[in-house]
Amino acid sequence: MKIKFPSHFQSILVLSLGWMLIQCNVVQDNIPDHEIAAQWADMTLYVTKNTPANSPTFASRCLGYMGLAQYEAVVHGDIKHQSLVGQLNELNALPLPKAQQNYNWLMVLNRSQSTLLKSIYIQTSDENKLKIDSLEKRIHKILLKSIDGATAKRSLNYGDRLANELFEWSKTDGGHRGYLKNFDPNYHRDSFPGSWKPPLFAQSFSHNPLHHFWGENRTFSPLNKNLPLPTFISYDPSESSAYHQEFMAVYKKERKLTEEEKEAAIWWSDDPDVTFSPGGHLYYIAQALVRMKKPNLITATKTFAMVGMSVADAFIKCWKWKYHFFSERPNTFIPEFIDQKWESFWPDPPFPAFPSGHAIQAAAAARALQATFNNKTFFIDSAHVGRERDHVRNVEFKARSYPTLWSVAVETAESRFYGGIHTPQDNKVGLEQGVIVAQNIINLKWEK
Amino acid sequence: MFRLICIVFLFLVPFLGKSQGFVDHTEAAGVNHFFEVYEGMFGGGVAVLDYNNDGYEDLYLTGGMQEDQLLENLKDGTFKNVFHKANLKPALGFVTQGVATADFNRDGWMDLLITTITTKGSKKTIPRAQNLIFINQGDGSFLEKSKSFGISESESFSTGISIGDFNLDGYPDVYVGNYFTDYDGGLKEISDATIVNAGKTAKGYLYENKGGEKFVEVSKKYKLDHRGFSFGGIFTDFDNDHDLDLIVNNDFGYKAKPNYLLENMYPKKEFRYVEQDYQMDLRINAMGGATADINADGYLDYFITNIRFNRFMIQQPEEKIFEDQAEALGTQFFTISWGANFNDFDQDGDIDLFVSNGDLNPNCVPMYNFYFENNEGLYTEQSSKVGLKDYGVGRGSVVFDLENDGDMDLLVVSQKPIRPYGPPSVTRLYKNESTVGNYLQVKLKGNASTPSAFGARIEVYSDSLYINHEIDGGNTSHISHNSRTAHFGLGAREKIDSLKVTWPGGVNQTLYQLVPNQRVEIEEELSPFKKTSEWSYKWVLGLLLFSLLFLILKYRSSLLPY
Repeated sequence: MKIKFPSHFQSILVLSLGWMLIQCNVVQDNIPDHEIAAQWADMTLYVTKNTPANSPTFASRCLGYMGLAQYEAVVHGDIKHQSLVGQLNELNALPLPKAQQNYNWLMVLNRSQSTLLKSIYIQTSDENKLKIDSLEKRIHKILLKSIDGATAKRSLNYGDRLANELFEWSKTDGGHRGYLKNFDPNYHRDSFPGSWKPPLFAQSFSHNPLHHFWGENRTFSPLNKNLPLPTFISYDPSESSAYHQEFMAVYKKERKLTEEEKEAAIWWSDDPDVTFSPGGHLYYIAQALVRMKKPNLITATKTFAMVGMSVADAFIKCWKWKYHFFSERPNTFIPEFIDQKWESFWPDPPFPAFPSGHAIQAAAAARALQATFNNKTFFIDSAHVGRERDHVRNVEFKARSYPTLWSVAVETAESRFYGGIHTPQDNKVGLEQGVIVAQNIINLKWEK
Repeated sequence: MFRLICIVFLFLVPFLGKSQGFVDHTEAAGVNHFFEVYEGMFGGGVAVLDYNNDGYEDLYLTGGMQEDQLLENLKDGTFKNVFHKANLKPALGFVTQGVATADFNRDGWMDLLITTITTKGSKKTIPRAQNLIFINQGDGSFLEKSKSFGISESESFSTGISIGDFNLDGYPDVYVGNYFTDYDGGLKEISDATIVNAGKTAKGYLYENKGGEKFVEVSKKYKLDHRGFSFGGIFTDFDNDHDLDLIVNNDFGYKAKPNYLLENMYPKKEFRYVEQDYQMDLRINAMGGATADINADGYLDYFITNIRFNRFMIQQPEEKIFEDQAEALGTQFFTISWGANFNDFDQDGDIDLFVSNGDLNPNCVPMYNFYFENNEGLYTEQSSKVGLKDYGVGRGSVVFDLENDGDMDLLVVSQKPIRPYGPPSVTRLYKNESTVGNYLQVKLKGNASTPSAFGARIEVYSDSLYINHEIDGGNTSHISHNSRTAHFGLGAREKIDSLKVTWPGGVNQTLYQLVPNQRVEIEEELSPFKKTSEWSYKWVLGLLLFSLLFLILKYRSSLLPY
């Protein structure tokens, strides 16, 4: 039998492939600091999106811890900033770096994000955990090029201790393993005029509302713990009432939605079953701005901390009020009092209406972002680009642009009005309260 | 030439002018049943079968957290629960859901297939359980044979069962719908990760019946690759090509997976997804359905139940699409629907529709059932007028002939409300006293086809009247199985000009000049059933190959020089 040697062309091909394989394993020499923070934001969002039974509540909580962990991982390497230990509810201590010892703060960040993400999302798949490890290893190899082994070991150890302590603290906030208690079958609330009813055009198969206890969870900011109740327009189904007008506005809007309004409605729908949830969408915008503006490491991580904790606290307060007022959605009121055949553009989320969770989170995130970036920052949001078109509503997912940071909050709130699942007052109060919640995060003493 | 075996029963049926609607016969019949849900979940269903071959239709009702019941028809309009006597006790350990019936092993006795969602007793972190098959022993008892049929290792959250011979081998095959992720080989380990995965969409089970002894899951072989929060499928020949296609109903179609329409590519072992072509990819909360050719154009139409507004999918054969005409036909009412049953209940010559409604327990807002009377092709809701306006938490429903009096009666399963509820909510039996015309009942006995002739077509011609009926394979309605006895209302017509039976595969037989108000039994002829097995097929193939090899060797040896 004859052996055929490769032809000249084949030899080149084989050599090229070999060279490409080698190149694949070539480690970059460096990576921008802000890029490491942004890549961990990406991974956090990937896990948020790809972990089943995730809820907007649990997701927002995790963003709070992941954002805070970014900041705490690097804060001791910055001369102007200080840890938030002692300033956040029941956060009395975190591991401190050893004095007079060298640390690589990027390596601390890299390690602590990896460890905390795997702990806080213990329920995610093994495949996702491998992805987390893979990102950590890739960044670690780059960082290792410029530091000695002892510093690396010390940094890794510190990163682990920090993540573990943050995780231990997180266990006592009321939301730990909250995905096991999404819909409590034993929760019951007697109905009353204007009370929330399980949706018929629903996002969830459960008839019980999501996380009825979430409003009792520990907030990050002490000031956010006891915010006063917002004002709610009282139930009155008579046609001339302000309450009726709220729903009439929703009804009229749904009947003349423009294509752009429909696009906004599905863009911000952020269904937690298929996306990284509304909180994740805002964290995504934070990473987009970080990548665009390339701030230094402490600013980048502080941005994620502020946005993460703001959306987490916003949802705790929102849930507190949702279950206080236990108010109905347009899909309950409108078929009963305006038009029986009416159906919202977007299906109902499985929890009460007032105030809008999207509005309060978006306002909180926008306000938090304003602490880092100029409000008049034009940017393009590509969060859902590439998603298959919405077949039910026949609408495409198109990238959206915003002239200011605040315009994100306004459109997010309006998108729920376009979707027919929130009244104007749900959004108005949500926006107002979101700013207050974020301001309490911003007002923490971040600098020494 | 066809040899028609026609056994005729003549019944003394009073007709014309008997129009009192339906009579609630529940108590009088000794029916005492309600379905009890497991943690606000689904159920239940009912199957019509003559389990003891006494010529009267019996009922199997699932109970969920309650005991199931096998109600033996005592031939006097009453029932007796013979569940325990019939050795069905193994079902007591399970939270049952749906039920369907067939003579799976072709021994002349109707067997039972029951879906479950979990076991009773200690609560499971992830509720799942095997499904159950009970083989009728012919002596009034059943034997649980889930293990030998190969279905006991799959732990699932199963819902509706449809039966149809999709490979035309004469054995009843099965499609089982699953709602949440299933576990082939059982659930071995429970962690936070398995718990959060448990709520994901599920694939269904396409079971090929191997010689009446075993079910083999053949989804992959038949190129099925779908998931959904499913209430099961409906085997039906939507495209009139004489093989059984499959409609799959999915809950939350607007955000998870839509309904599927699977075209059987027989003789190729393949189902092809055609729901988008036919515009049957409904993205709704599809709970169940009913099949009928309501506009008598020769093509079947489908009523799909839903939350809020049901869909009335009318086939447009020239365009090869379906159109929702619920509003135009007068059936668009706001409610939550589950079961649906087409029948010419009043025997006036057109097809009426019953719809079983009920709130999502534990919400417990009373909502009444619908009775849509067909008036020259348009429907009018008349549940109040005919005595069917029950406010129970309705689920599965079936039509059957309680007393063999020729008209079709109704049984509607209701759930026990979890929370305080005004009106009573119990399973109800309604005796049909609404008939105003003549009728014809037809019962088929398959030979080459399945014994119950699932999917066979019966076309009745009487003057200007044309009715096109498909034999029900189950999971029409909601996780239930109607009577296989075909029933045709004729109005005042005094004769049937012809009656054509098209058996699955396309062979047909025709009867002429039948008188009404009788039950006709038609046995399939031409190709009597021959039991084959894969082994005999392989033996023949092996023998052929051996012969061929022998001939080749012989030929080669003949070429060799001596």
